[in-house]
Amino acid sequence: MKKNKISFGFVVPAFVVYTVLLVIPIFMAFYFSFNKWNGFNTMQFLGLENYFNLFRDVRLGNAVKNTVVISIVVVIIVNVLGLFLAMLVNTESVKSNIFRIIFFVPFVLSTVAISFVWKSILSYNGVLNGILTTLGQSELVGNWLGKQGPAIVCIIIVEIWRTLGYHMMLYLAALQTVPQELYEACTVDGGNRWHKFKSVTLPLIIPGMSVSFLMSIINELRMYDIVKIMTDGGPGYDTETIVYNIVSQGFSNNMVGYSSAISVVLFLAIGAISIFIVNAMSKKEVEM
Amino acid sequence: MHSMKGKARVVNVFQTICLLLLAIVVILPIYIAVANTFKDSSIILDQPLSLPIPATLENIISVLKSPNTNLGEMYSNSIVLMVAGTLLTVILSSLAAYYLARVKTKASGMLRIYFLIGIMVPYVIVYLPLCILLRNMGIPLGIPVLIFVFASGNISFATFMYTNNIHTLPIELEEAAAIDGASKFKTFWVILFPLLRPCTATIAIFVGLGIWNDFQTPLLMGQVKTITVGIYTAVGPYSANWGVVFAYVFFAAVPVIIVYLCAQKNFVNGLTMGAVKG
Repeated sequence: MKKNKISFGFVVPAFVVYTVLLVIPIFMAFYFSFNKWNGFNTMQFLGLENYFNLFRDVRLGNAVKNTVVISIVVVIIVNVLGLFLAMLVNTESVKSNIFRIIFFVPFVLSTVAISFVWKSILSYNGVLNGILTTLGQSELVGNWLGKQGPAIVCIIIVEIWRTLGYHMMLYLAALQTVPQELYEACTVDGGNRWHKFKSVTLPLIIPGMSVSFLMSIINELRMYDIVKIMTDGGPGYDTETIVYNIVSQGFSNNMVGYSSAISVVLFLAIGAISIFIVNAMSKKEVEM
Repeated sequence: MHSMKGKARVVNVFQTICLLLLAIVVILPIYIAVANTFKDSSIILDQPLSLPIPATLENIISVLKSPNTNLGEMYSNSIVLMVAGTLLTVILSSLAAYYLARVKTKASGMLRIYFLIGIMVPYVIVYLPLCILLRNMGIPLGIPVLIFVFASGNISFATFMYTNNIHTLPIELEEAAAIDGASKFKTFWVILFPLLRPCTATIAIFVGLGIWNDFQTPLLMGQVKTITVGIYTAVGPYSANWGVVFAYVFFAAVPVIIVYLCAQKNFVNGLTMGAVKG
């Protein structure tokens, strides 16, 4: 081969944009997190104090709790239901195709649009309560977005509604890699539906399953838009998520150092979870 | 044998019922939004599920005439950001990937990992430092800088996709071009880039739709009036006038739904392949 090398110049534009606008700000966030700063006055070095304060912050604790609850429930439901749906539409027919198209629609719409639609349904003076009143069930009318418990449930429902089709598609892609001969072999051996699922489908879709789990965990840990529009974190701080809390502390309260500390912890947590899942996945693949 | 067929049919019917029920749940909110866009606001709460007969364009007109909304400006901002941001991402990432995939040096390997790290960054960590950085550099927040911000956020993913894709292409074509005396850039642009078209389509849909639907970035970086931020700020005063809210949603969602229905295979590939490969 000719020693006519590809110049480093090919990487330079991407390197500059990526480094200046993404990597340097991340380092800045680490630096800010060791300081007390409102973004304008002189910085005051605090060492790890911001990080210690995280553990005493009741408001943040509530945001973490909300995020964890939302994440666990949504991750489990969209993955179980997503796989179930994928198996139902895993046939080559017009009917399956139409269902696939329908289930995927919510995922292509902007979270802003769907949040407003759901807000109009779930608000106190919204469509759901309107229907209940018309049906003569006024005692069932509730302030769904106005109390912590019901509001979190509402956020969970919207998020499941939004991402279910996406996870169905991820599982569908995984299912389509399973060779049909294996199912036939299983039938010959006298296996029933459950055997086929447990011994053929499940082991072979583990890579796809890991991707689906990883995507749902990362998506839920970053939850912001739906909360911002449907409840704006309220009532009070009751329905805040971690990202909502970071934005509110950083942009509204000008606590640049403190909000940076929270986002650094979130960054490290997501990094650790990603590495853990990718590792677990590659181990499973080796075993097979 | 007969009973097995009967059982299979029962299972089939059961499956179809499951799918139908779920499809209704998925469609119902969208139906409510669309149907009520064309109803008088006063009857929405009484008959939210009825068909919009007689249909009224009142809500649509009030959005078009609203003094604090400029739909044309919102659409053009979103389109400029989406097109320019996607183009910039595609150009920067494919060029970088050409080097990363074909040059086998230690530096190249380290650069690959460097670019990969960005995939797992929760973007919320970036907004505030980035705003401060741009302020210190004297760069005003607005459309031009947001184009670069969107590219910076998507370079990781796109470079990764392109690098993997170039690996699957035979190197002989490039060698032949080199013997013919073509420059490296020409080789890339004339020979490699056209072969990457399916990969480019995937990336363009993923990145383009992401920019079009993004709310946090334009909101936090200068309140740039894209379609999402514009609707968010405009709806505020109308928050209980659902007919008008639905009309806004209608304007935000209709372009996406039309494009999705026309190219739904590409959409699904674009949005899921990205995740599967990443």
